[in-house]
Amino acid sequence: MSEHLVSVKQGYVLAIDTSAGTTVAVLSLGEVLAELNYLEPMTHSERIGSAIEEVLAKAKIAPSNISQVVVGRGPGPYTGLRVGLAAAKFFAIGANAELVGVCSLDAIAYSYYQQNPNQNVPVLVTTDARRQEVFWALYNSLDRGVPIRVEGPSVNKPAYLEELLTGQEHIVTDLPITASSLGQVAHFQSLTDLGASKDSSPIYLREPDATPGKAKKVSG
Amino acid sequence: MEYLIREANASDLDAIMAIENECFATDAWSQEVMLSELEAPHTYYLVAEVEDQVVGYAGLSQLVGATQADIQTIAVRPNQRGSGLGRALMQELTKEATRRGAKEVFLEVRADNTIAQKLYKLFGFKQIGLRKKYYQPDGVDAFVMKTSLLRDDVSEPLVLGIETSCDETGIGIVRGNTLLANVISSSMDQHARFGGVVPEVAARAHLEALTPALEQALSEAKVTLDEIDAIAVTNGPGLAGALMVGVGAAKALAVSTGKPIYAVNHLVGHIAADILDQGKLAVPTIALLVSGGHTSLLLVRDIINDVQLLGETIDDAAGEAFDKVARVLGLPYPGGPEIDKAALGGNPAAIRFPRGLTLPKDMAEHRYDFSFSGLKTAVARHVELAESKGETLVISDVAASFREAVVDVLIRKAIAACVDNNIPRLLLGGGVIANARLREVAIEACRENNIELRIPPLSLCTDNGAMIAALGSQLVQAGFAPSSLDFSADSTLLVTQIQS
Repeated sequence: MSEHLVSVKQGYVLAIDTSAGTTVAVLSLGEVLAELNYLEPMTHSERIGSAIEEVLAKAKIAPSNISQVVVGRGPGPYTGLRVGLAAAKFFAIGANAELVGVCSLDAIAYSYYQQNPNQNVPVLVTTDARRQEVFWALYNSLDRGVPIRVEGPSVNKPAYLEELLTGQEHIVTDLPITASSLGQVAHFQSLTDLGASKDSSPIYLREPDATPGKAKKVSG
Repeated sequence: MEYLIREANASDLDAIMAIENECFATDAWSQEVMLSELEAPHTYYLVAEVEDQVVGYAGLSQLVGATQADIQTIAVRPNQRGSGLGRALMQELTKEATRRGAKEVFLEVRADNTIAQKLYKLFGFKQIGLRKKYYQPDGVDAFVMKTSLLRDDVSEPLVLGIETSCDETGIGIVRGNTLLANVISSSMDQHARFGGVVPEVAARAHLEALTPALEQALSEAKVTLDEIDAIAVTNGPGLAGALMVGVGAAKALAVSTGKPIYAVNHLVGHIAADILDQGKLAVPTIALLVSGGHTSLLLVRDIINDVQLLGETIDDAAGEAFDKVARVLGLPYPGGPEIDKAALGGNPAAIRFPRGLTLPKDMAEHRYDFSFSGLKTAVARHVELAESKGETLVISDVAASFREAVVDVLIRKAIAACVDNNIPRLLLGGGVIANARLREVAIEACRENNIELRIPPLSLCTDNGAMIAALGSQLVQAGFAPSSLDFSADSTLLVTQIQS
């Protein structure tokens, strides 16, 4: 795991998340150097190139100086989510950087704990999963900068979630996801024994929506 | 059109002066000035010949060791315009400027000559200044234009192509017009149980396939990312969610490597496939593109700036019709090869299935359009009728007759497009070209009509990244400026939008 420590200490980190809007940040040793957030949920593929270019320019960092790319693995609406994952993969190859993945909901929990450092009640993070469902995860604390997830990520109807948490005290947060928080989660993960995760696969939580086809009758 | 471009010499003076006086009636150079320019050591003059006649010329001026060059003049006889000669001359001049170490090229153009300005813009020239009443005696202003030469050598650019418009993840690498790698990862098997391409399944597969495909392509081409001159990516038409995977990846790669990016049209990419097979594209040509997602007839005069849509399907694509009819006949996906197998020994004339949009009333409005949904319904009706009557269905006859109906319409309309437009060339592209009967009928029909038929190898006909790289390479070679990073994935991109 010392490998992670070394790379984090030496280089700069680019964080990308497209699980909701498009958010990108450049960090060094967990410090945010620059960040750009676009909230619109439908413009990921248009935004992503310029967003990365601009955030690097804002941080005054050349792409080749990025030694780690942190990407939000979702959950989030799939089409947009994949844009960030695809971009992170190819940016990492082009810059010869390592690629690590973070559950996007962890970044929201991290933001919440930054604002509420002494919160002892479990924190429920939910995001819109469309089709009247929510993506969610439950956290019970922040341990040395890493949000401790105790349930999820999952996708359910709000009613199910309400029933599940009946009688269990909790606080709900709907803070937006930011790449700066995502990058910070990865930074603090890399300082733990487990290290940051090299798994950058998408967290889909649903099977593709399709049914095996049958020929339709054309005459009555 | 065949033409030759060669360096000019003093013996061309008379021919050049004839064109000079024809093209610049009021402000032509004198014979003495022209001769001294032709012979000066710091100039580079070219002539274009058609059938041994000089029909155009162009000149560059660049002092030895200077990093700035000037395009001094360019002229093509009026009756030879519109066939790409001006562009070819410009291309040779900018190449020479690059060879001589120029970083910037300047020129002046009459403010009222919009055609020339359009040509220069293709080469990245932008207006940087104005000279009032520069052209006398007409009193017309001159625009001063400038372009920057990006790279050392545009003649053999190394281009990486990324294609994710449907169910094939393609990464290809070409150098100039030469194929170096063509890696295709298909998710077809994952769609089989659904009987057709499921967009979400395709998009998921693209994301997984991208990195291994890129690594394999680089290793097959024996090049590194550092050596790549430009990145080309399909930005439409196709499945939106699938396109966005390739677009997101390509943009980020362009930023991280600092390489220029070219967003290119998938359908025009299919035409570029022939360049990799033949070394160049013979134009003008009619192109018939037939796949699971497209059925289009195109007229191509110039692959980088003149592709015209003659017609396309108004409902199902031909490949889709094969898939749907296969399902009706209880055959697996993909339908094309299965129907081919089932048709073995069948009588193609057993059942007269309808030929969509071929009746005189349809031909008026839809001469080059296709329709296959009625055909699919006719096959289903035929099958259901036979079943309800308790008759045995001769599957081989149904499959052969259906296939014949599809192939007949495709080729008949493609040949009509060639004949009507007086273009004795037909290029086929798209996955359905794998169909042996389609190729057979095409060969036969083209022979009868004296039409030269081009069928690239199948690995270049199905969706692939090499064809996208090839198209990108054409744009780079022509000196086109890269796309801005903000282009979008456009599922309904028009074929006339060759670069976005």
